[in-house]
Amino acid sequence: MNEEKQIFTVSELTQSIKFVLESAFDNISVEGEISNFKSHVSGHWYFNLKDENAVINCTMWRGFNNYVFFTPQDGMKIIVSGRLTVYPPRGSYQIDVRSMKPAGEGELQAAFERLKQKLKSEGLFDVERKRAIPFFPSKIGVITAIDGAAIRDMISVAERRFPLVELIIAPTKVQGSGAAEDIVDSLTKLNKMKDIDVIILARGGGSIEDLWAFNEEIVARAIYKSRIPVITGIGHEIDFTIADFVSDLRAPTPSVAMELATPDKQELKNAIEFLDQKMEESLIEKIQEYRQRIDDVIDSYMFRYPLEKVRNFYQKIDNLFYKISQQIDRKILLSEREIQKYFSIISSYDIEKTLKKGFTLIKQDDKFVTRKQMYLSSKPVTIKFYDGEINLDNK
Amino acid sequence: MSKTKSTKSFEEKLKRLEQISEMLESGEVQLEESISLFEEGIKLSKECLTILENAELKITQLKKEVSNKSTDEGEDE
Repeated sequence: MNEEKQIFTVSELTQSIKFVLESAFDNISVEGEISNFKSHVSGHWYFNLKDENAVINCTMWRGFNNYVFFTPQDGMKIIVSGRLTVYPPRGSYQIDVRSMKPAGEGELQAAFERLKQKLKSEGLFDVERKRAIPFFPSKIGVITAIDGAAIRDMISVAERRFPLVELIIAPTKVQGSGAAEDIVDSLTKLNKMKDIDVIILARGGGSIEDLWAFNEEIVARAIYKSRIPVITGIGHEIDFTIADFVSDLRAPTPSVAMELATPDKQELKNAIEFLDQKMEESLIEKIQEYRQRIDDVIDSYMFRYPLEKVRNFYQKIDNLFYKISQQIDRKILLSEREIQKYFSIISSYDIEKTLKKGFTLIKQDDKFVTRKQMYLSSKPVTIKFYDGEINLDNK
Repeated sequence: MSKTKSTKSFEEKLKRLEQISEMLESGEVQLEESISLFEEGIKLSKECLTILENAELKITQLKKEVSNKSTDEGEDE
């Protein structure tokens, strides 16, 4: 009964299996968890899809995976659509994936959390690493979609606040497949330019899928690697992306990102006017200070009563004079007394008394002749009596 | 290029202005120097305000060949 059992070659059997499997599973959707995900340099993706009890190989060719908005991660639950193919040289079967989506909204969130934890533990979010945003930027690199509302908002903010700045816009795909790669490319390009002071990475609001590029690992690493400080302004206030955690400064929106990157013209004007005022006050104060010093001198005693000193000297001199004259007066008085004393002594020998007694005096040329040899016979002689004189002419 | 210069010179002028203001405030400079510093400061502040008033935003767009290439490739397959 079984004698005529068919014997296949390996190839024949494999071909049959291939035919059966490929026609039976021509268009399938499978849900599972990604493991061993590999993105080859050729652009093709290779990974396994698994659940608790089984594993199946998957491939997704370049060209198809271009349309996947997220980069698959191990552990992520996804739903793939495609067909089953058999690869005869290895006797293996795999799913040729045409499209892929997260198994639920929670899956993206979970992937987000996993990457966040991973990068955090690697130190990509460290506060110490965050660089200061320059206060006076000359050139701001802007990475965003060239046709979005975000770019228009940012330009008008820059125009209003600090028109001195130059914006270097790198038109970039910020949504959908390839967006992450394009963002990385723009970051690299701006980093190659010499004089960019700060980079703004921005995108207007959208769903978690729309913003997903900013949650990709390659974007996070490119921001981390950027030589130039990066400000992120992605989505709305409530949206936090991985890029926000890595960037040097996170702004809630693109407009605010531009505000944080630029000093405000009006504030600068106020500051300049304030400096003007301060300078003027300082100068006035200085002049006032000098004036005060001059006034102090002018108000000083010497300047108010310039003759006072002279008068003081006068007074001193007068005092001295008074003292001296007193001394002199005293001396004179003493001398007078002395004289008086001698006078009375002398007066006791007064010549008049002698004359009264009858003696006479002889005078020649108004001088008394007291000795014989002084007498000159040729000269007239005056004889002085007590009661008068007689002139004798010797001729 | 001139744009970059004007930002730089604006920043330098403003820094010098702040420096002058501080020097004047410190009161350590003599009167004659104070007056010449004040004159310099007033001149700088006028220049700064003029630069701000007359500034016009300059926008340059970066050429991005690579991103276009990757999109083309996607459409090829």
